[in-house]
Amino acid sequence: MKILVAIKQVPERDAQIGITASGRWIDESDLNYTINEPDAYALEEALQLKEKNGGEVVVMCAGPERVGSTLREALAKGADRAIHIEANDLGERDTLGVAQVLAEIAKDEAPDLILTGLQSDDLGLGQTGVVLAELLGIPHATLIMHVEKTATGLRVKRELEDGWFQYVEMPLPALLTIQSGGNKLRYATLMGIKKAKTKETKTLQAAAAVSPSIALERVYLPEKQKETEMLTGTPAEVAAKLVEKLKFEVRVL
Amino acid sequence: MRAALKEALSRGWVRMVALVCAATVGARIAGAVLSSEIHFSATLAEPGKFSRLEVALLLIGAGISIALFFRRFGPILCIIFRSKKDKDFSLHPIGRRMWDFFWEVLCQGKVIRQRPLPGLAHAFVFWGFLAFALVSLNHLANPFGLAFLRPASYVGNFYFLFAAIWALLVAVSITVLFVRRFLARPIWLGEKLSYESGVIAFLIFLLMVSYLGAFFVGDGGAAVKALWWMHTLTLLVFLPLIPHTKHLHLVLSPLTVFLKRDGFSKIPPLSSDEDFGLIAGKDVTQLISLQVYSCVECGRCTEHCPASNTGKVLNPKEIVLGVQSYLNQSGPASDAPLLTEALVESRDNPPARYMSMEAAFECTTCGSCEYQCPVGIQHLPIIIGLRRGATNTGAWEDTHGTKLFLALEKQGNALGLSAMERDKFIQKQGFPIFDGTQEYCLWLGCMGGYDPKGREIVADFARVMRYLGTSFGVLKKEKCTGDPARRLGNDLVFQTMAESGLKAFEAAKVQKIVSICPHCVRTISNDWREYGIAPEIEHHSEFMARHKDRLPQQNSGESIVYHDPCYLGRYRDVYEEPREIVARAGELVEAPRSHERSFCCGAGGGLAFLGEETGERVSHVRAAELVATGAKIVGTACPFCNTMFRDALSSMGDAPPQLLDIAQLTARALPTMQKTGER
Repeated sequence: MKILVAIKQVPERDAQIGITASGRWIDESDLNYTINEPDAYALEEALQLKEKNGGEVVVMCAGPERVGSTLREALAKGADRAIHIEANDLGERDTLGVAQVLAEIAKDEAPDLILTGLQSDDLGLGQTGVVLAELLGIPHATLIMHVEKTATGLRVKRELEDGWFQYVEMPLPALLTIQSGGNKLRYATLMGIKKAKTKETKTLQAAAAVSPSIALERVYLPEKQKETEMLTGTPAEVAAKLVEKLKFEVRVL
Repeated sequence: MRAALKEALSRGWVRMVALVCAATVGARIAGAVLSSEIHFSATLAEPGKFSRLEVALLLIGAGISIALFFRRFGPILCIIFRSKKDKDFSLHPIGRRMWDFFWEVLCQGKVIRQRPLPGLAHAFVFWGFLAFALVSLNHLANPFGLAFLRPASYVGNFYFLFAAIWALLVAVSITVLFVRRFLARPIWLGEKLSYESGVIAFLIFLLMVSYLGAFFVGDGGAAVKALWWMHTLTLLVFLPLIPHTKHLHLVLSPLTVFLKRDGFSKIPPLSSDEDFGLIAGKDVTQLISLQVYSCVECGRCTEHCPASNTGKVLNPKEIVLGVQSYLNQSGPASDAPLLTEALVESRDNPPARYMSMEAAFECTTCGSCEYQCPVGIQHLPIIIGLRRGATNTGAWEDTHGTKLFLALEKQGNALGLSAMERDKFIQKQGFPIFDGTQEYCLWLGCMGGYDPKGREIVADFARVMRYLGTSFGVLKKEKCTGDPARRLGNDLVFQTMAESGLKAFEAAKVQKIVSICPHCVRTISNDWREYGIAPEIEHHSEFMARHKDRLPQQNSGESIVYHDPCYLGRYRDVYEEPREIVARAGELVEAPRSHERSFCCGAGGGLAFLGEETGERVSHVRAAELVATGAKIVGTACPFCNTMFRDALSSMGDAPPQLLDIAQLTARALPTMQKTGER
């Protein structure tokens, strides 16, 4: 089974994010980047499928030169080949634009299965995988915890809300967006890094961006809100009001 | 249990009785020969002329003996020479090597110091052998008319008497050692009795008796000839036994002690792109081969091992013997893995999974084994080498270990917390950021930056520095030194951490560093050298001891038991400085095992992050020992020890002793200062 994994590089979780002067994107200087967490699980799922069923794992990532480090890490963990789609203007491309870039590669590679994280840690749109499947005209399933190969295709475990799971049978080729936590991630090893040096990384130029269908108006940091409200009444009344507010307004109960 | 002990004892007795019987029969035969002419003289009797037949017999005997010796010794030499070269080896510093040889081999300093009674007995046997070298040479030269020591000459007579004193000491000592091994039976020598040791002890005894006997008989008689032959035959039997038994250490260990790697727990750099640590025989280096064949099976390593003492699989002696039998079976070019889940046979103990991955990853890297070893075996590069082989290739799959490595990769600290937590702590404490104007860079470490108790220690040490008027700053960003990754054999993470740390110090133009964590101090000052030289770093105990005269003397009269952290004591040789600080805070109490014999807290070697241990907890054993001293306070000098004991003491019934770091012991007596904004 040939598996293509689409991964994204995102700022590290603890990064102190700043906004550029234009107010349309984050300030990328002085940021450390890492693999998007759900994509790490997508890669892990692909590697485990390969270990069980054989085949090839190809990783692809769109972005500037810096994404090379994330691709190398994926190769070190066991991917066979890497494709770097060079693009310095990801901020100016919308989901459809990025999916189109990825679809070009996916058409050439013609994999049996495409895996990607269910959403990115930075933008959190959760659409790229789905749109990519649509562009390729193949079935997809989202929020996948576990993948099993069957005689006819796949049996996948989807995470629903409130602790419910759904099992779906689907044919190949297909696209799955993977949820975090379904597997245990592996650590990169010295041997893996040494081997990665001998593996192929193909670099391609992304096609020029067409005018996006979604316009990005403004990027801003979350604005903190502080609100103080005094509850009055007998202790029992105050407690009852407090519980109500915690339940329905703050939603922590 | 008791029945087994009784049986073992009675078995020991039976064997003892059998040996005594044999000795008595031997003595009777000799007695029959001697009875007619027994008398004591202060000169050694000469055997007189040897017939051609005797010379021929001697030559044939010696030939067979030497051939048998080399039949085993040759292949061993071959294995050692055909092992992989140690690329980083150099004879430098030759002075230290000569001193070690003088002190550990010639003076038997370590052997005596760490096990006084058997050590002294061994030393007498060793020195006796040295004194005997000339006598034996002379003895064998005699039949050829080449004897150079004449009992009639002053020099000869003096030397023979001198050797006789040694012969007596050897005879007594070997008897003591025999009694120890076969009657006292310390468990460290192994669960099985070693017959060969009994035979060797008997041969040594026989050598001495046959030499001393010649003072009681006349020149040239049948008796002296009989004694001569007895002595010679014993020598000829003894020689081939050497390479077949642990007595190979007679030949190899002086060399091993001289050649051992420079530095305690020194982990050699990986030699090439194909080198990932000790995976198979082909990765075993010449030094390791030499060391494992030098093992004398005394079990000191195991006696002091925190893992072996708390019911773990790991047994450092069996690791060494395991590598040795691997080399015997598979050789130094083999691709067969060193680590195996199968039961490994042992000469001294029942078969167990001595070479399993589980065993290799139970080591706390406390270094007791390496410190104790009297023949120069360096266990840590071997055990960590095995871990490297497993981790660098991904063969080691451990949930906790993987979590730790991912935390180091992603968050840059071993606790897996957000780096923002450290920023908040720095801000709250009002620690200035190091900008090149301050004298010291205060290195927080993972414990100091993220762990609640570690933070208390750092905060108190900062108070001490402020009280002393020493300027300091902390790095804006700090990552783990890579210590747990280093000890768990993950060279990739370790290298990343070391390089990032070196870069941070260079960028901030740091000159001097001080830290509350002995693990950080060791790793920065020593292990990082593979990638660059870090600024000078010291432990806060060293810093405070230097300024102790300006720190308040507390007359609390409280008793404080001080626990030596492995990475400060054995690894850095710092024993007195923390004690000076403790002595200013109260009355210093010593634990039964202290200084270089201190017992580990169980946290080292990355084990603090590996979850629940099997068997007894190392920390609980040590904490109970510290509590038993009756001290009011347990004083520590390492945040890892502190956190281990915090947990152990809390389960130790009501009113356990207080647990304080030496920085806290000092800071509690400082006048309170204005809270915030002080710089």
